[in-house]
Amino acid sequence: MSAVAAMSTPTPALVFDAVSHWYGDVVAVNDVSCTVDAGITGLLGPNGAGKSTLLQLAAGLIAPSAGTVLVYGERPVEHPRVYDRVALVPEREALPAMLSARAFVEARATLLGLRDPRGAAQRALAEVEMDTVADRRVGGFSKGMRQRTKLAAALVHEPTLVLLDEPFNGLDPRQRVHMMRLLEARAAAGTAVLLSSHILEEIQGVASNILVMLSGRLAASGDYRTLRRLMTDRPHTVRVRSHDDRRLASALIQLEAVQGVELERGGLVVRASDYTAFARALARVAQAQAITLYEVEPTDESLEHVFAYLVAR
Amino acid sequence: MSAPTVSHTPTVRGRVSWLATARVLIQLAWARTFSPVLLLAVLALVLLPMLFALAFASRGSLSGDPVVFLIQRYDTLVGALATPLIALLLGTSAFSAEAEDGTLLYLVTTTTPRWWIACVRVVFASVGTGLLSAVAVWGTGALAAGGHDPLGVTRAFTVAVFFGGAAYAALFTALALLTRRALVGGLVYILIWEGVLSATFPALHYLSVRQWMLAVAASLTEATDARFNVGPSLTASLISAALLLVLAVYVGGRQLQRPRISRIGT
Repeated sequence: MSAVAAMSTPTPALVFDAVSHWYGDVVAVNDVSCTVDAGITGLLGPNGAGKSTLLQLAAGLIAPSAGTVLVYGERPVEHPRVYDRVALVPEREALPAMLSARAFVEARATLLGLRDPRGAAQRALAEVEMDTVADRRVGGFSKGMRQRTKLAAALVHEPTLVLLDEPFNGLDPRQRVHMMRLLEARAAAGTAVLLSSHILEEIQGVASNILVMLSGRLAASGDYRTLRRLMTDRPHTVRVRSHDDRRLASALIQLEAVQGVELERGGLVVRASDYTAFARALARVAQAQAITLYEVEPTDESLEHVFAYLVAR
Repeated sequence: MSAPTVSHTPTVRGRVSWLATARVLIQLAWARTFSPVLLLAVLALVLLPMLFALAFASRGSLSGDPVVFLIQRYDTLVGALATPLIALLLGTSAFSAEAEDGTLLYLVTTTTPRWWIACVRVVFASVGTGLLSAVAVWGTGALAAGGHDPLGVTRAFTVAVFFGGAAYAALFTALALLTRRALVGGLVYILIWEGVLSATFPALHYLSVRQWMLAVAASLTEATDARFNVGPSLTASLISAALLLVLAVYVGGRQLQRPRISRIGT
């Protein structure tokens, strides 16, 4: 690659290239290839799908059994300098119970070689709204407070790649929204965030890109609408409202992409075998029949549907 | 709810400060080591030889030569029991607990060199073991010899327990990073290897921390005892202990490169 090309193509934050990892006979991650860059990427999958293993591989805590993991172009295993730019927030709540939140975050800042550990810790604690209770021992903290303390400890050196394992566990709705906004603000500032979850709403609300893991494999990737598009062998359900639903229904039923139409009160529900083809045909039909469309809304575009389909596939 | 603010104050990175990181690593080790149970166990180990000394002193001149008594007790109760057990508790507590609950992650996802983390933990356990063992040595000596130090035995064993404490602490700190059952493994080592095998088979003297301690003590006291004559030389003991320390820090550092963390998820 030429120098100019290299400059114009920044190194991705995180690259998995045909990565597999197994523990004895158990394959935890199986031939995963993907790239994580600035913005929020959700890592979705049921418990045991291999999400935590993938995060450990990204953090260099374990080496891949096969394939390559690159963090900013370097292999993270046995390479502590990557932690200048990388932070991992584990799911487990354990923290040194005898320390205060401030002492713990300051300890991390010191071990990360920050010039002003005290100031950095204060900023990080304020960012997660823990500054007012920072001098209390973490042993007496609630689950949510522990989560926020862990996040402060991870963000204390302003990493550009943040790996979070189930970060919303234990947070109340207000704290959850706050953390989402915090991560969004970080992502907007150029940080690559990879967060895992088995709860679909969490990811759908915050992640611009989603990786779906099932049984150690990367089952799908893209935004949740793209994932939905991948389900070509499953009918899509679309609710349509127009000024003449009956006439539209009779026209739509003749389309190849439409499997069925149900007239309901206030609209019609169309089951389409090919969403993209249906969307194009709908516009043509409406124009040809001089029907005014008021509303076209996919009813099964939630990530819950996508996930249920991918799990069952 | 106000929108979260992302700090725009640049975080200035510097070089890792050896002193500052050592302070933090010791603080974290202390936080994970200290507990009332551990305190009681250590107290019992420190007081045990003193109780024997008290019994010895209570019988006056009937007890015999305090030098012989002190060398025996320093070897069997301090060098072979209190010092290794204290080193085992201080050397394994922090790393074992951190590996078990996953908080080791917060140490190994930093830019601090791994060998330095292992080294500071060895120093922490060594100094703690040395100081506590020295208290046992001083207390036993003062009680048995009426505040005197006949033939410099107490002084010699004070130096020896600091030396042996460092060797034991290095061994057990590395063990805590190598296995989940460091406490059991350490106990077996102390009771079987140091307590029985190395005392029974002369060929194993060169691989016994207890014998190294005796060699150091023998070189610093004018007293003579049969057990001073069977172990390795002072030079061999010093070289062996130095090798053990270097090896423990190296192995510990290597283990921290790919840490044995039970899991990061629940």
